[in-house]
Amino acid sequence: MPVGEGKFKLYAKLTPPLEAGLWRLRADQHFGAQTPETGLDENDLRVDQENVHLRIRSPRYLLPPDQILSTYPPANSFGSYGSRLPQVVIKRRTLPWERRLEGAPAKTPWFALVLIAEGEAKLETSVDVENCVTAGVELEGLKEVAKGNCLVAKKSLINRVFPTKRDLDLLAHAREVDIQDTELMMGDDDGFLAVVISNRLPLPGKDEEGNDAPVKYLACLINLEGQYDVLLNRSPDPAPTFATQFLIKNLMYQEHSARDDHLVMATALAPGRPVINPADLGELTNLVPLAQGSEGSRSTRYQSGAAVGTGAKPYAGSRQWSTSSPVMNTSAQVSLQMAESFRLVDGFEALPFDPEYRFPVLLHWSFTTTGDTTFQSLMTNLDSRLLGDVGNAAKPLSGRLPLEVVESGHIGLGHQTREGDRVRAWYRGPLVPHPTKNTGADRLKLAHSSDQLRVVIPDGREDLSLATAFEIGRLLTLSQPSIIAALMRWRQADYHAARLRSLMVSNRNLWEELLGVGFEKIDLHKIGPLAGRFFADAIVKNPEQFLGNPRPRVTPGRPLEFEGKATTILARGLGLKPALFTGDLAKVFNSLRDVGVPRDDLLITDLGRIDVRETLGIDLDRQRIDLVSSALSNKLLDDNLTGPAFPVTDRIRADVLNDNLDVILRDPRRRDFTDEDQS
Amino acid sequence: MINKSSDILERLGTEIKKTARSPSTEFKRDENTAMPAELRNWLVRLRLLEGVPFANLVADSELLPQESIRWFYMDRRWTDALVQGSLSVGTVNSDDRIQIDAQYAAIRAELDTEERNVRRNKGMARLAGQPGPITGFLLRSAAVSGWPGLHVRAFNVDPEEGDQARFKEDDPRRIRLLRLERLAPAVLLCMFDGIPKVVHIEEPRQGVQFGFKHKDNGSQRSATLRPRSKTSFEYLAEDGSKDVDVPFRVGSSGVVDIRRLSDALAAHPETGAADGLDSAEYALQLIRFPWRQVFGEIQVPPIGSMFRASIEYAPMVNATFKL
Repeated sequence: MPVGEGKFKLYAKLTPPLEAGLWRLRADQHFGAQTPETGLDENDLRVDQENVHLRIRSPRYLLPPDQILSTYPPANSFGSYGSRLPQVVIKRRTLPWERRLEGAPAKTPWFALVLIAEGEAKLETSVDVENCVTAGVELEGLKEVAKGNCLVAKKSLINRVFPTKRDLDLLAHAREVDIQDTELMMGDDDGFLAVVISNRLPLPGKDEEGNDAPVKYLACLINLEGQYDVLLNRSPDPAPTFATQFLIKNLMYQEHSARDDHLVMATALAPGRPVINPADLGELTNLVPLAQGSEGSRSTRYQSGAAVGTGAKPYAGSRQWSTSSPVMNTSAQVSLQMAESFRLVDGFEALPFDPEYRFPVLLHWSFTTTGDTTFQSLMTNLDSRLLGDVGNAAKPLSGRLPLEVVESGHIGLGHQTREGDRVRAWYRGPLVPHPTKNTGADRLKLAHSSDQLRVVIPDGREDLSLATAFEIGRLLTLSQPSIIAALMRWRQADYHAARLRSLMVSNRNLWEELLGVGFEKIDLHKIGPLAGRFFADAIVKNPEQFLGNPRPRVTPGRPLEFEGKATTILARGLGLKPALFTGDLAKVFNSLRDVGVPRDDLLITDLGRIDVRETLGIDLDRQRIDLVSSALSNKLLDDNLTGPAFPVTDRIRADVLNDNLDVILRDPRRRDFTDEDQS
Repeated sequence: MINKSSDILERLGTEIKKTARSPSTEFKRDENTAMPAELRNWLVRLRLLEGVPFANLVADSELLPQESIRWFYMDRRWTDALVQGSLSVGTVNSDDRIQIDAQYAAIRAELDTEERNVRRNKGMARLAGQPGPITGFLLRSAAVSGWPGLHVRAFNVDPEEGDQARFKEDDPRRIRLLRLERLAPAVLLCMFDGIPKVVHIEEPRQGVQFGFKHKDNGSQRSATLRPRSKTSFEYLAEDGSKDVDVPFRVGSSGVVDIRRLSDALAAHPETGAADGLDSAEYALQLIRFPWRQVFGEIQVPPIGSMFRASIEYAPMVNATFKL
């Protein structure tokens, strides 16, 4: 039966059918047979005993990360958790009852969530599992992992902070939630969760003056197997108090002072800053090499998880640490980081009267509790008013003019005009304390520039609210090239469509008749092809209205026009007298034979004599001058480069000196000079 | 260090949320719309003041002091001017301006509709109709930075179920949020599609929490537990008359003496503690719900107490016109 969304069921216990460990299943079969003649007993029909060995595994020293659905307070968080009990939600519903505590009533949870303030106890990471428990205690059965973390706590702390034997079974319960309810499911698969609550409130601290001080807490899920007797039988006897003391932060610092000295003096005992070395990391969560990189490469990939540490190498306890701050990229590193301040507790010596115990830590996370502000106190004390309220602030901050807020919500701001005058202007943002007129004719008319929206109100100041809005809209759009492009595309494609539409609306009847469809169906984007198609259609239907007769195959030539008689035209065309073509054929023939061929006289002798001579002479002179002058100038330049006799201008000289490499190379004095220069 | 990494995670979370909640206003270009979809999306977001500098929303820090919530109406003339400024980028010559003048009424009507469909959930019907007023609040508080992921709910009536009821996402009485965004680490901007009667601001839920009510007295803290009925899960006495003091272990800070607490609860047989408390019953007593702050006045307070201006209108008019 589903639980229903938003609801859940609580179970005091969900016990597993079998506890974790090694089990043997023994099967004995006894047969007998009876017939009228004879009987066979079980010795005759003997069946061998069947032994099956079962190994039921369950996390014991380390809780695999995928088993943790949520922790509260969130790991590494910072907040006011002083009235909430820390808790952890575990995916496997039977986990708290899967192991047996020696000496405890049946079905007592085998772990507890203890909350340690900074400096109270020590968390050791990456310890061989044999050393995770107090010396002398031995846990039988499967170890599951090779290395784990352990919490080292003094007996006095255990008495003060750890749950008592009587508390233990109240601190774990199971919860069933609806599998549709993602908020409560938190990523579980079957809707059953185990919840472990701590017995301690993470109170904030107070310093000596009584001010709030943040306190870092470490929550540890510790395995109590074999050490149940260490816990108090019941809470100490003095009458129960209904109040509890805050931690005094100062006391906690003293425990660190010795370490700080070492740090300052950089002695050998100084606990180098990030005490995270890769070897540590490798062991912490049993990072098992997943695949060796290809031969020759040194890269090795690691898979984090709860794999059995078969490939783990022994912990060398090396003192090497990286000097650079580690990059927090794996959950293991974050986890180590959280443990850091709890790993270095100096002055932590076991006194004979205060023995120290070690507990395996299945899971640990840390968080910081700050002062007394809770969400509730913050929200109930909020100052709730309309925006624009100036309140009772009697005196403004020094050096500031008092804020001008008008009843309409406008405020006065300094304004520098385009002419450079410094004046005051009114401004009101989009968030106003009164409802504004927002409908119908009160909406703003379209403006095309911000100056259209500047208003001068009767008191002489300008109201720049809307002009500012316009400018912001313009500038925000200009900052987005894609939007500018979209606007331009729209302008090209759609403004014209709009114009077309207005054209069509004004001649609606004509278009409907012409296109033959209803006005609503006319698609503006396709009006060109559409009109063409309907035109063709009309032509096909009534060709005679649009088309004329077929064109003849041959086009007749243009009639020629003659003026006068043919012989006259002929004579004129040939340059002869028309009289030649009069008379009979013999006469025409004879007279044509006598006519000389008409020709003009050519004037060859006087043509261009002077002109040609002059032209050629100029060319010749130029060539000659060129030849002579180039030869001459080269020679002169060579001989008398600096001589005053030759009228070489400064410009030429400079050009030559700077550019003409040949000249420079040929100049002996220059060569000397450069030699000197080289030496 | 702690803050830093959690901030980064938070940023990531809001970014993811933002992309998941990007306005779902796209539809095909060739449907009968006043403007292309890309432009419409941009203008709708502009209308909801996305990207507008904070100084233009709240012109002076005195208007939003620390630990305050400020309610507002949205001025549509201002957002219209914003849109006009944006459109002015696309007009080059006076011909364009004439065209866009003709088009503007359609553009505005479409934006009015589409602005309501931002943050529309998948599968919900597209909202249409006349635009109502837009309202909202600005919250500046340590609660915004310390409790990321606040839940905000608004109703157009005072729900009869009471302030602590559970409401469905598509409850018809709920007013939709148009925008819920942190503008700064400690400043939250929220906009509603309408004028709400009641607004709930709820602590983010991080699973079910267990705890007590506490009271501080100097260097001491005491706590009380309000017992619940085992069968109905209701408090035995809403007024706190049956509250049980939480016993603490002597000499240790904050350690709850659980057995003695269960003994104390045994005095109230409805809790099921009389026959011995088991862990489920104990958890039942400890469950604490996220705090829900309810804003909503039964009697509308006079405007003078909610909004106090430094310059009154009448004297200013008198001074201006020398009356």
